[in-house]
Amino acid sequence: MIYVIDHKDSFTHNVVHQLSLFDHVECDDFSKVNKSKLNQADTIVFSPGPGSPKDYPLSSKIYKKYKRKKRIIGICLGFQQILFCEGADIVQQNKIYHGFQSEVLVNKSSKLFDAGTKFKVGRYHSLKLKEPFDVENFDITMRCAISGAAMSFENNIDKIYGFQFHPESFLTINGKLLIKKILSA
Amino acid sequence: MGFFGYEILNDLIKVKIPKQKETNFPKGIFYKPEKIINLNENLHYQPKKINKIDNKFKINIDIKNYTKIFDKFKKKIKKGETYQIKICTKYRNKSKIDPLDYFCRLTKTNLAPEAFFIKDKEYSIISCSPETLIIKKGNSISTKPIAGTLKKNSKLDKNKALNYFRKNIKETKEHNMIVDMERNDLSRICRPGTVKIAKEKIVEEYKDLFHYVSLINGKLNKNIKTVDIIKAMMPGGSVIGCPKISTLNLLNHQEKEERNIYTGSFGYIKFNGDMRFNIIIRSILNYRNISEISVASGVVIDSNPKNEFNENFIKAKALIDLYK
Repeated sequence: MIYVIDHKDSFTHNVVHQLSLFDHVECDDFSKVNKSKLNQADTIVFSPGPGSPKDYPLSSKIYKKYKRKKRIIGICLGFQQILFCEGADIVQQNKIYHGFQSEVLVNKSSKLFDAGTKFKVGRYHSLKLKEPFDVENFDITMRCAISGAAMSFENNIDKIYGFQFHPESFLTINGKLLIKKILSA
Repeated sequence: MGFFGYEILNDLIKVKIPKQKETNFPKGIFYKPEKIINLNENLHYQPKKINKIDNKFKINIDIKNYTKIFDKFKKKIKKGETYQIKICTKYRNKSKIDPLDYFCRLTKTNLAPEAFFIKDKEYSIISCSPETLIIKKGNSISTKPIAGTLKKNSKLDKNKALNYFRKNIKETKEHNMIVDMERNDLSRICRPGTVKIAKEKIVEEYKDLFHYVSLINGKLNKNIKTVDIIKAMMPGGSVIGCPKISTLNLLNHQEKEERNIYTGSFGYIKFNGDMRFNIIIRSILNYRNISEISVASGVVIDSNPKNEFNENFIKAKALIDLYK
């Protein structure tokens, strides 16, 4: 079972539908997370959402508790939430991407995707990862083809994955494939 | 048959509205039709000689204040608290009107797919809403959001308007966001894998403007109740902003006057559960001889206050013209 923790976003149910193609999905608001569902879940997904990771201490708590015990995936805010818990700074960017289709480029550190591959993806984010970011086992594996901003990470040791863009957006081509790879990694 | 006002739709999804200036207009009214009459499509209407209404419309937020609010929300966008937010402005005047005459004249110049008209003892609504929020038949449901408005001129046709929208990054981004949000709202109540974009970013033509429109379909889950559909889809996202809940909270703390019918929904629910609802925009609410026209346009990261303020006026113009 995949348990999606919803940060009151207007895209969360697109995520739920996309994940439902692969497994049974449960979804609850971040403030009403159910403990037994958390324990039953094979995968925990932190949804997109407004604001910044520091606004969601409950989600940070869940991440820290279940890290290494479950597969964990973060999308957009969820991506930032995981990195924030790993000590990263999440900062405002000069150019803001809301409803924007752009290209991301896979680099050599990816174990799941071929280096050099480009994906067209949908983006909805005001904030980004401040770099350099150097934490053991966490690799930035995709970057914006133009700005170089971090667009995905992989931690294949602990099975923790994140996308800054939205694989569930209609702007993302082959988003299903991206999700399938990290669910079966 | 009837309407949900904005406030009741917030109540349903448990979003609070702080105390606002109230007019005591009902939060929603539904009627049970006793008789249904089909009207011939070729009705001819001879406008009455009406008295011009001298009372000019007053706007509740001037360009200076609008810019202030605009800048405040732009900061919120930079912080990621909202991605797009629609500031509502109201035009008001004191006027005793003949609502049927107004409606007939409006439909003559501006026949809109979701137009409607209500005349009751204390109030009337005259609307040329172009936006369909819900069409539900059996287990099929669809929504047709509008995001993107272009004022007409003699050089523009539908194709040129489409080109304009496609090349305009700001309009495209705004529209994309609404498409993903409506997909999301349908996904709350539909079977996984059934939510599909049937028409992606097409142009529709109206009297004074062109709209950028998409059509999204889905198949409802079993055991979905009418109220589940209302709660998932309303208030319609394209007139609020995105993400819906945090943006509603920001709006409700900003707006000092209640929206009344504006961005609510008018439509019908049949006894078999089929329904159709619009989004109440481009509408006159005349209540106790005060006419009120509300309009809104979006703040996104690269919009500018002057353009949006003017877009509001374009949207209100066809209605304000009826009083001349």
